[in-house]
Amino acid sequence: MPADEEFEIDEDAELSLLETLDHVLDRGLVIAGEVRIAVADVDLVFLGLNVLLGSVETVERVLGERERRVDFLSGRAPRAGE
Amino acid sequence: MSLYVYCLGDGLSGAAFEGLAGVCGSRVRVLALGSVAAVVSEPGDEAVAADEENLLAHNRVNAAALAVATPLPCRFGTRAAPERLERYVSDKGAALSSALARVRGRVEMSVKLMWKSEGRKTEVESEEGGALRAAAGGADLGAAGAGTAFLLKKRREILGEEGARRRAEEAAAWLASGLGGLAREEAVRSSPSEAIIVRAAHLVERAHVTEYRARLRALAAERADLRLLTSGPWPPYNFSDIG
Repeated sequence: MPADEEFEIDEDAELSLLETLDHVLDRGLVIAGEVRIAVADVDLVFLGLNVLLGSVETVERVLGERERRVDFLSGRAPRAGE
Repeated sequence: MSLYVYCLGDGLSGAAFEGLAGVCGSRVRVLALGSVAAVVSEPGDEAVAADEENLLAHNRVNAAALAVATPLPCRFGTRAAPERLERYVSDKGAALSSALARVRGRVEMSVKLMWKSEGRKTEVESEEGGALRAAAGGADLGAAGAGTAFLLKKRREILGEEGARRRAEEAAAWLASGLGGLAREEAVRSSPSEAIIVRAAHLVERAHVTEYRARLRALAAERADLRLLTSGPWPPYNFSDIG
C-alpha cells in the first residue's frame, strides 16, 4: 500500500486549493443569470456552459499554470534550484 | 442589485451559515424560493476575483450546506438578480426537484490518476519502439534517410498518441470496474497527454464513503505504475447541471 502522502490529498493545503479550483471554476450549476469573475484584473463573463466572452488567453494561461503546478506538486517537474 | 449564488437546495436554513464569510467577506444568507432555497450573498456588483480567498470561500459555503443536506452547487462567479433567480427556480422547478433527488444522501468523491514514475515512460517507449521497428521491416532506424526519418517520426507521434489514449482508457476502466456499485454515478474526463490522465468524479452514498475509501486504497495497492489522488467529500459540482 502506498504511503498516505502519496494517496490522500485532503490534508495538503496546496493540493486542496488545486482541487477546489478544479471543482468550482468550471463545474457546477449554471443559472440563467451569468457567471462573472475577474482574473488578474481582467473581467471575464461566462454565459451558459463553457461559452466565454472575454480574455481567452487569460483563461488559457490560468489553466496552464494550474497544470504546471500539478506537475510540480506531483514531482513530475523539477523544483526550483534543482 | 445582483446576488452572488452559491447553491440551490432543500432542507437548508440560515443557521448553517451563521458567522460564515462568503466571497469578498460578504454575509451569507438563505433566500427561500418556494420548495427550494438559494444560498446567496451580496458582495457588490463588481466581478468577484478568482483568487485563493474567494475560491475557498465559495466552496466553504457549499461545504457548510453539504453538512446539512446535499445541495446543487453553482459554478464559481454565478450572479443573478433576485427576480431572475426567482423566475429560474419557478421555470425549472421540476428539473431542480429531479436533480436534488439524484444527489440526495450522496456526496461527490474525486479521484485523479497519474503515471507514477519514469519507469512507465521507458516501458511505453520500448513498446512503441518495437512497433516502429516492425513497421520498418526490421530496418535499422538509426540509418534511415531524412525522408524516412520524417515519416517514422510522424508515425511515432501517432503511435504515441494512440497508445497514450488507450492506456488512459484502460486505467479509467480499471478504476470503474474496481469500484463497482460504490460509485452510483461517475463523470470521467480523460487527458492522455497531460500529467493527470484521468479525472473521475463519483457520486457516492454518504453511508458508503468509508467503504469507498477503503476500496480505493486496495485498488492503489494493485497498481505500482499509477498514483491515485483522492479527495472529498465534495458538494456534487460534477452532478449539478440541469441543462
